[in-house]
Amino acid sequence: MAGRFTGRIVITVALLFAAVAEGAVRHRSQSAHNQITVEDKGGYRMLRFNGSMETRLLIANPLLGHFEYTDYFQMPLLWNPKPKRVLVMGLGGGSTQRAFQHYFPTVHVDTVELDPTVAKVAKEWFGVKENKTHKIHISDGRGYLRRNKERKYDAIMMDAYSSNTYGSFIPYHLATKEFFQLAAEDLTVNGVLAYNVIGTYNEWRADIVGSMYRTMKTVFPHVYHFPAADSRNIVLVGVKAKTGGLTSATLRARLDLLRRAQPKLPAHFGPRLGRIQANAPLSAAKSPVLTDDHAPISKLLVPAR
Amino acid sequence: MNDDDSTPRGRILALGALVLLGGFAVMVLEIVGARYLQPWFGGAFYVWTSQIGMVMLALALGYGVGGHLADRFKKARFLSLLLAPAGVFILLIPQMAPVVLDGIVDRHEKSVEPEAVSTESFITETNLLSEISPDFLEGTATNALPALPPDDAAAPLEIPAVWRKLDPAIGSAVVFLFPCFVLAMIAPFMVRLAARQVEHVGTVSGLVYAASTVGSIAGVFVSAYVLIDVFTTTQIFQLTGGLTLGLGGLCCLIDWQWPEDLQDE
Repeated sequence: MAGRFTGRIVITVALLFAAVAEGAVRHRSQSAHNQITVEDKGGYRMLRFNGSMETRLLIANPLLGHFEYTDYFQMPLLWNPKPKRVLVMGLGGGSTQRAFQHYFPTVHVDTVELDPTVAKVAKEWFGVKENKTHKIHISDGRGYLRRNKERKYDAIMMDAYSSNTYGSFIPYHLATKEFFQLAAEDLTVNGVLAYNVIGTYNEWRADIVGSMYRTMKTVFPHVYHFPAADSRNIVLVGVKAKTGGLTSATLRARLDLLRRAQPKLPAHFGPRLGRIQANAPLSAAKSPVLTDDHAPISKLLVPAR
Repeated sequence: MNDDDSTPRGRILALGALVLLGGFAVMVLEIVGARYLQPWFGGAFYVWTSQIGMVMLALALGYGVGGHLADRFKKARFLSLLLAPAGVFILLIPQMAPVVLDGIVDRHEKSVEPEAVSTESFITETNLLSEISPDFLEGTATNALPALPPDDAAAPLEIPAVWRKLDPAIGSAVVFLFPCFVLAMIAPFMVRLAARQVEHVGTVSGLVYAASTVGSIAGVFVSAYVLIDVFTTTQIFQLTGGLTLGLGGLCCLIDWQWPEDLQDE
């Protein structure tokens, strides 16, 4: 009996240690949409929805430690060196908003977030602020675009996902041709839409990358893409203007213009820009265009091979 | 072999198929319908909540009214008078529903913007990233923010929280309440048609519930796993509308094929 009791204590202690090694959960809340946890570990703060990591930052400097893919949301500035107003769909822990407010402080950022609890947690735990240049709108993304009649955006950044234990999933109504038509209406003449697509070119979720490319191409004359270096994300960038397809020369000229217009342009901008891809991803050839009538997203996310 | 007392086998099969396919059609409408509503109301929790709630309401009404009508009219072909318009209604969803749903969503454009939520009350300074200097967002080099561009365009109106919850329910009701209501009538009608002796009502009604629910289970999984991937939403509504019209036809067939049951009482 004593042995079994000791054994139980050993197991309990071991579990406790395991819990500490996992990191300290600082906050936990449950909303209508998500189970939200905030965890500190190894100097990083992490935000998880339903177990899937949404945001990471370095506590000592919240401008660092973020997922690299969010840096590509700054690429629309190439087409608009002095943007007035941008729209970000999906708040999470606000990496994109934090970067814009720091590097491009004159830009007005509108954030659309479905879950009011996420906004609360982002403010309390991730230093996200609502002020003159940042406003959070609690709404479905498509509903917001639909109701928006007056504001024109120089850039729209899409990072709205629903997450569960199996990963993050694109809500189909934010990924169809009809959605991109709606978004293009709310863009300025030189407006750009940047979409974080979770996937890769060749294997894992390549079909959704191909489908998203083809679908964006039905609305935007030019679509470029940036594969993230440290995660399986590809940021697709759709340019509304028909003219001005990029060549190495025009790209260089645009970067020079941007450097002059934005003195605080982050040092990482150049290297990130170097990852630009202009050709259609291979998977685009066999992936369908998504429409409101037919968007077999769950089928695309299941590996067929 | 006294056929006078026992119901013909074909009739039982037809009644069973009617119940099973009715249950199937209801759940196809529920699952595909929730997805269909997503472009208007978002894909969130409340869309599913209202879709489930409204279909359950349709079932409750259909069971209640259907049972009453079954006692009154007794003939299967009466049911086809209701299934026919329900089938046509489903066929027309892709053409008609967008107009109505647009109206539900767009009516908020004229509503008044709700009071701005005080954001300060959310922020509890103790929880902020206290380790870092509070001006990290502004940067240390330039503490004074440059002048802001004039805010010339109004933000879109925020929909009041109560309508964010209720609008999807209204949308679900407008599009799916009527067809599900009619399809739900099939089950109590079949109990009335199949139960010929009071001592068998338990068995018959149990079998009808079971067949209807098995059909519903199939409807759920076939919709989610197969239909949405293979067909367009328009095609799925056309198939379901066609199926509902077919069920109406089956009702007529039952009356025509086994007329002796009409003079049963």
